[in-house]
Amino acid sequence: MIEYLAYLSIMTGIYGILSLSLNLQYGFTGLANFGHVAFFCLGAYTSTLIVVLAKGPFILGLLGGIIAAGLFGWLISIPTANLKEDYWAIVTLAAAEIVRLFFLNEDWIFGKGPYHGGAFGIGGIPRPLQSWFSATTYSFFYLCIVIFFLALTYFVIRLLTNSPFGRVLKAMREGDDLPLAMGKDVRKFRMRAMALGGGMGGLAGSLVAHFWSFIDPYQFMPIETFVVWAMVVVGGKGNNMGALVGAVIIQFFYISTRFLKDFIPIDAQVLASLRMVLIGVLIVLVMLFMKEGLLKEKKRVYQG
Amino acid sequence: MLKVVDVHKSFGGIMALDGVSLDVERGSITGLIGPNGSGKTTLFNIISGYHPKDAGEIYLKGQRIDDLPPDAVARKGVGRTFQISQAPAKMTVLENMLLAPKDQMGEGLWNALFAKKRVLHQERHNVEKAVEFLNSVELIDLRNEYAGNLSGGQKKLLSLGRILMAEPEIILLDEPTAGVNPTLIKSLMRLIDDLRKGGKTFFFVEHNMKVISDICDKVYVLDFGKKIAEGTPREIQENEEVLEAYLSGSSKKWAQKAGIGS
Repeated sequence: MIEYLAYLSIMTGIYGILSLSLNLQYGFTGLANFGHVAFFCLGAYTSTLIVVLAKGPFILGLLGGIIAAGLFGWLISIPTANLKEDYWAIVTLAAAEIVRLFFLNEDWIFGKGPYHGGAFGIGGIPRPLQSWFSATTYSFFYLCIVIFFLALTYFVIRLLTNSPFGRVLKAMREGDDLPLAMGKDVRKFRMRAMALGGGMGGLAGSLVAHFWSFIDPYQFMPIETFVVWAMVVVGGKGNNMGALVGAVIIQFFYISTRFLKDFIPIDAQVLASLRMVLIGVLIVLVMLFMKEGLLKEKKRVYQG
Repeated sequence: MLKVVDVHKSFGGIMALDGVSLDVERGSITGLIGPNGSGKTTLFNIISGYHPKDAGEIYLKGQRIDDLPPDAVARKGVGRTFQISQAPAKMTVLENMLLAPKDQMGEGLWNALFAKKRVLHQERHNVEKAVEFLNSVELIDLRNEYAGNLSGGQKKLLSLGRILMAEPEIILLDEPTAGVNPTLIKSLMRLIDDLRKGGKTFFFVEHNMKVISDICDKVYVLDFGKKIAEGTPREIQENEEVLEAYLSGSSKKWAQKAGIGS
């Protein structure tokens, strides 16, 4: 039970980073990014590449994952800069699938490693400092690592969203016309929001790779993006604490419904689909009865 | 200050601007009037970079500004407001005001993260300034209200206060008095007049002829994308061609409302 709790907490922390970073893009900047899982995937694969193939240290893998995903975020904001929200959603969704399909079909990067890459996945991703701990205590050590990076992400995003930088992002959320008239280069701000959120998504990806020690492209299906969206929408878009609360609720829901099969006599596969249905229902209910989510966006009040 | 030379613009088969030229002198208040669909807002959109022109040239203080993107035009010193007020609904009145100042160091990522103290210092200065401007547009009591909760007239005032806060060289106002109550219009006009005396330049689209004749130094009249008259408000009110434009067809009602030809 205690191990399960540790696992749940680690996954919640990792998804919390995803949720916070999507909230920066969608909740604050209004970017309907439906391809957030691409950053998660890129972070995981880049980190694995650096640590497994190049034998680099964990921290270098982490940095590499952040940079690769951040660059990708910056890159997809270039051709999409003038698209409207719905088209944005389509393009980012497609971009994420391109990333996943790339790793599904490659066999020249990870071709010689264990499990041979591609659809077989990559195993044997080392867990940092694993030899220092026993199998049971290691989860708690890793939980500390995740909490550290979650807190770092939270404080960086809070600092940004409270700054004049965040103010411009918030202005862009309701259209480009006004920020343009105020002389703000909205393209540049959009690129930064994508690169920042992307880099944070990459951080979550490399954290998950080194925790699972095995990754394959099927762990980065579009459904993951929607789970993160559910976290932002249920928790409260435009509220950083809300994004965290949403991550806790959805992750708890997502993981613990797995154990329903012990109580309800239904087939595991049906149950897996039902879990997603339940999350869908939760989103619909929140949209209908609590449009702004559990925690409303905080009003910014200045002294003076 | 602002010079528009032979600007053309068509949307599909409709000629929105057909060779418009005009001059806005430094320190003047210049009006732009014309029936609906005569091209006033299109001209504003072209000057401020929101629409590309088909042909023609636009100069600000002798420097070409056409073909620049809108944010670059704004940074060069052309401030504008919109016919339908733009004010992010989920931002407070004060936050809206704080979007205006140029060169905010806290808009850079590095400074936002690592120079919090200096950013806060600049913020305090900007808040003080915003409070001053909110006082002059009489929105000070609403400073912590979401802009989305303001009335149409209050949003107009916010747009005006915000563009003043940006301290542009020339201010383009698109129907600044529409929906604003008459007493407030008077104090707004006083404010604009005072600012002009302080060296600011205004160019504005207005339907209220009283406002035009009270404060404008010069008025341009557009009709069907062409400039049909220019002169002092008095000259314009007596201009036969202007009367003709306003009194023909669907523009009649408008002219009566505006107080022309009555």
